[in-house]
Amino acid sequence: MNEMKQDIDNRIALYALISRLMMLEVDNAFLEKIEADANLLALFPNYRDWSKRKEMSRKDLIEQYYNVDFANLFLMHLVPYESFYTRDDQMVESGGDNPVIELYNTLDFRVELESARVVSADHIGVELEFMYMLCDAQKKALEADDKEGVCELLQVQYAFLREHLLEWAPMFLINAKKESRTPLYHDGSELTLEFLLSDFEYVNEKLNTHCVTESTEA
Amino acid sequence: MTKVNNEQPTFVESRRTFLKGTAYTVAGASLATGVFKTIADTPANAEGKFTPTPETLSFYPPLEEWDSFTELDGNDWKRGGTGRNGVESEENPDGIKAIEYMLVPTACSNCEASCGLTAWVDLSTYKKGGQLAVRKYMGNPLHAGSRGRNCAKGYATQSQMYDPDRIPFPLKRAPGSKRGEGKWVRTTWDEAMATIGKKMHDTLKKGDEMSRKLIMYHVGRPNENGFGHRVPHSMGCDGYDSHTNICSAGAREGTIQWTNDDRNSPDWSNAKLIFLQSSHAADAGHYFQQAAGRIADARKKGAKLVVMDPRMSNSAGMADLWVPVWPGTETALYLYLANRILNEKGINGESLVNHNFVKNWVNWDRLMKDREYLSYLVERGYIKSLPKGDSYEDFITMIAEMYSPYTLDFVVKECRVEARIVEKLYDMFIDAGARVATYIWRAGPIGHKGGWMIARSAFLPFVLRGAMAGDVGGVGLHHWHVISVNGKGDAATEAGKRPPRVDVWNEIAWPPEYPLSTYEMSHIMPHLLLDDEWRNKWNAKGLNVPDRLAVWIPRMYNPVWINPDGFRWIEALKREDKIELPFNLSPTWSETNWYCDYILPVGLAGERHDQHSEATQPSRWLSFRNPALRVALEKMGWKPKDPTRATLEAHIKAGLGEIWEEVEFWANIMVHHVDPDGSLGVRKYWASKEDPSRAVTIPEWYQAAFDKLPNLRKEAKKRYPNSKYPNYEMMRDMGTWLEEDHIYKPQERPLKKVGDKYIAHGHEYDASEVEKDEFGVLLVDDHVFGGKKAIGVEIDGEIMQGFHTLSKKLEFYSEWFKEWKWPEYAIPIYPKNEKERREMTHVVTQVHHDFMKKDNEFALNTVFRLPYNIHTRSVNSKHLMEISQNHNPVWINAEDAKRLGIKRGDAIKVTITDTVSGLESGYFIAMAVPTEATMPGVLACSHHAGRWKLKNAVEIPGFEHKLGVMGLGAPLYEMTMDGKVGTLKPKQGLDEGMQARRDTWQFKEFNKDLDNIWWDGLSGSWQNAVAPSHPDPIAGNHAWHQKVSIEKAGQGDKIGDIYVNYENNMKVYQAWRDKLTRPLNANDKLRRPVHMKRPAVPLTLKAYTVNLKG
Repeated sequence: MNEMKQDIDNRIALYALISRLMMLEVDNAFLEKIEADANLLALFPNYRDWSKRKEMSRKDLIEQYYNVDFANLFLMHLVPYESFYTRDDQMVESGGDNPVIELYNTLDFRVELESARVVSADHIGVELEFMYMLCDAQKKALEADDKEGVCELLQVQYAFLREHLLEWAPMFLINAKKESRTPLYHDGSELTLEFLLSDFEYVNEKLNTHCVTESTEA
Repeated sequence: MTKVNNEQPTFVESRRTFLKGTAYTVAGASLATGVFKTIADTPANAEGKFTPTPETLSFYPPLEEWDSFTELDGNDWKRGGTGRNGVESEENPDGIKAIEYMLVPTACSNCEASCGLTAWVDLSTYKKGGQLAVRKYMGNPLHAGSRGRNCAKGYATQSQMYDPDRIPFPLKRAPGSKRGEGKWVRTTWDEAMATIGKKMHDTLKKGDEMSRKLIMYHVGRPNENGFGHRVPHSMGCDGYDSHTNICSAGAREGTIQWTNDDRNSPDWSNAKLIFLQSSHAADAGHYFQQAAGRIADARKKGAKLVVMDPRMSNSAGMADLWVPVWPGTETALYLYLANRILNEKGINGESLVNHNFVKNWVNWDRLMKDREYLSYLVERGYIKSLPKGDSYEDFITMIAEMYSPYTLDFVVKECRVEARIVEKLYDMFIDAGARVATYIWRAGPIGHKGGWMIARSAFLPFVLRGAMAGDVGGVGLHHWHVISVNGKGDAATEAGKRPPRVDVWNEIAWPPEYPLSTYEMSHIMPHLLLDDEWRNKWNAKGLNVPDRLAVWIPRMYNPVWINPDGFRWIEALKREDKIELPFNLSPTWSETNWYCDYILPVGLAGERHDQHSEATQPSRWLSFRNPALRVALEKMGWKPKDPTRATLEAHIKAGLGEIWEEVEFWANIMVHHVDPDGSLGVRKYWASKEDPSRAVTIPEWYQAAFDKLPNLRKEAKKRYPNSKYPNYEMMRDMGTWLEEDHIYKPQERPLKKVGDKYIAHGHEYDASEVEKDEFGVLLVDDHVFGGKKAIGVEIDGEIMQGFHTLSKKLEFYSEWFKEWKWPEYAIPIYPKNEKERREMTHVVTQVHHDFMKKDNEFALNTVFRLPYNIHTRSVNSKHLMEISQNHNPVWINAEDAKRLGIKRGDAIKVTITDTVSGLESGYFIAMAVPTEATMPGVLACSHHAGRWKLKNAVEIPGFEHKLGVMGLGAPLYEMTMDGKVGTLKPKQGLDEGMQARRDTWQFKEFNKDLDNIWWDGLSGSWQNAVAPSHPDPIAGNHAWHQKVSIEKAGQGDKIGDIYVNYENNMKVYQAWRDKLTRPLNANDKLRRPVHMKRPAVPLTLKAYTVNLKG
């Protein structure tokens, strides 16, 4: 459990980082935060070493490069919604029939689509932020030494990763990486993919270590 | 061993550790977007009747709930829906707002299709003391034609209703100002009716022949069935001008020759091949949305779609085959199909001609008996020798020879189309059997000299295959599928009957050069009025041609802008001695209004009464247009002070403005002003039978009009047993009616016989009076025009109703056309070489490739619609203007553009030159867009954009606000004209003009987004004004396409500039008239064949009779 306490802040930070990156266009403050933390910056190696960053102002980079890439990846040519990948008819389901939204509702989470500026709550950025919310809740449970709560939250994370994010996000992220035209989104897509896979292993391991009950063994 | 793939996916290869030995200093919360809320208030449960997600998309409130249907507010829903907030109520004030609506059915009026609409009148706001308003227009699921669906234009009705530049009250040209100065004063409907009514009264009072020619009702697309016709008819005037001659005259002429009906009516849903000539039906025109839906249904069942069009329209883009042919040469292709059908066999060796149908239902027998005409065909070289006998087999042999020269080689050269495409088209045509549906209307037939021959020839392969039998999946006829009772409320009037036939002939609508025109020659109205030489010539021959119009009444029409040679229209309108009192019944500002003496604002789709029906499928349905606010008020118990003016009163009460409608307007002005004492014999046709002191009311009129429909009448009586006006009430509540469905092959229906009497067209004929001619046609005496008329035909021993023609069969051979001076074109025919093209110029397009000699000379294709703009009716809708932006580039084939060094976005000068007179008309500057989507040598630029205005807003003395002028759709221009040359130059984009008054005084609540008008509207040009009027010598249609030359625009040229030599344009019109027509002469005894439709005003034989000197 103690080990999880050390890890949880990092998981929160990473989910926050990647969800923000995938949800909205980057801004000065966001990039500033990445660049101010050498460990975070190390997760974006190509971005870190990109020559244009020295040649151009951040404002110009945002306007002329990052926003263009974002529009291409998240608005125009790729479809960052789970239902697009999982439904046979490839329709984005924005209503109550979307199982992701059903899940949020069950857990009393509501997505504000207007501030997310997405059309449906199964957008990759929103799903990643949901993981962030679950981690944040887990942190509170850890702080309260609520083992049952921690395990329950790990279970939810496990299920959400397995049944939702990992069902489709890898396909999207491989496409995004391939289509990206800036190191920021190239590295960001790669980082997100790798982190999701490793975090799934992590959650799985923690569940097996700390939350094994007779019923699950049976 | 060679490594096939040594690349590992990087995400596996470079797996990093994210958590161990690292501590990120950034707090997650400062990075995350924060789109989740975990607030989970306990919602007040949604009431059962609200279904957040309807089970199906076609959900619609049931009819019984239309008077009061509560729906959740769409805007308020954004707060989170009823799942979280519940429904607003006293106990739950934060719930989602629920609005009570009354759904008033009506019908769209933006194009001719008349799709059903429902106006959603907001009762909640009204009951709380707010304005009574329509919040949205949706479909009408009861409508058999539109099936609850609409296109963008239907839903735009709401934005048009609350257009910030809507004309709020009647306007009158300011006393002392000249027409076109743009000075206006406010007036009232009563003043306008008194002044106009007196002028009409004084004109008619003279009682002479000329007085019956001086009032002209000039109707754009009518969107109603017959009321407008009754206006001049009831005054005894030959005074109706329709717009068919700029719209459909070519198709009508060609169709009339076959069928004596003026348009066909396909059964799209059941066809195996949808064969479209032009983008009409599937993506823009008649009857888009309904037709497109039916075509989609057919394709779902496996039907193929062919689109023949020089331009790759939306329809062509999704067709199974796009057939781009040189515009105007389509006739050649149709005759090529006929040739192959006649001369080839099917895969099993069978004949491809449907002999059963052709033998029974084509008038081959009359042709084969007319040896004189057959000799003429030999003389003309159409056939080599006279047929041996006069049998059906001889006929087929003869036409097989006649059409054999229309080979693949010929068609490839003539139409400039690839051989493989034509061959594929033929295969598809044959594969579909008799289930080929088409709608021959716009494009070719209206674009060209001889365009009518395109329609005439188009039907030939359809006839040969049996597809013109009006059967399932084939092609039927318009009059089988339409209901026209809007002008038939006579029983509700004091007279109680239809006005009598009119005794005069108006040469301004029906000039003697065009005895076969379809129909009125309205596009040359100003030319005729201003041509003294022409008038004097005919007066000297004994006619009595008007030299002016006392009252000219355009109705919802904008001829100045939409007709060719616009400067000539302005010139005529400025002449107060030529058009003494022009007034427009118009819901919007328009270029024409600018030159009128009165603008009288009438209602849009949800603000008026009309019965409207169109032939969109093999059934007979009607729409009933309702003024939604009036109906809502009346259902809530409101009563007008004057029941004959209820629509006007209701609109004033609801804050819409002093908006009226034609039905009430005409009834009132006729009864109280045109003929107040009844001395002219007009009043009784408009005064109420119930109370002759007043005009007829809407319920009275429509009770009587709908009484003509037996099924409607029966159902209404059942549903409204205690009502005085059950027909009216049922239509008011439903907005639509299906009188008859599944109408196939009505020509085969037995001629009705009761006892010894035959019954045809509502008349009884004693069997003893009926004669049968040698071709099996049943004839009776024609009591109106003398001679005989046909009422039925014997086919295989049975008496059937037959087609509408003189022979009761489809007329391959048009005898009357031969007799009316055009024998060489009395059968479908087309010249086969350049020499013949010169000799047969009447059926050769003015933009034939023969005329394109230089590298920069092109055929300009002008007549295609934009799916979201309908002629001049969209300028009042922000929604429609935003998606079109008045944007109208010139499409040019990419190879042509490359050759001429023209790039996308370049301004080019497009100069129009006439190929009959050789005269140049002037030019317009437009934006070039190189594309593969128009064929080489053919430019495309729709004539539906390029609106203009001369002032952004007008001041009305004594009225606190300025009235904006077409702020959403027309940029500001500067105009010059000197009687010979006219110019127009763009001055300011509409975005700037609108920004200045974005805080509109009118309908503020509906126009909160005027600040986001981002388009300037400056990419279209008023090309219509540059185009000279050049009427086809037979059908009379303005042949829309133009021969043009192009060059890059000069430095001083701006997109939108036009320069017009309209003195030359007059000469162009005269050249077409004098070189091409075959006018009436001293040998003619009639003005026009009496059997041929003259749709608006029925005339006596006296009116038809003519005696010309030398």
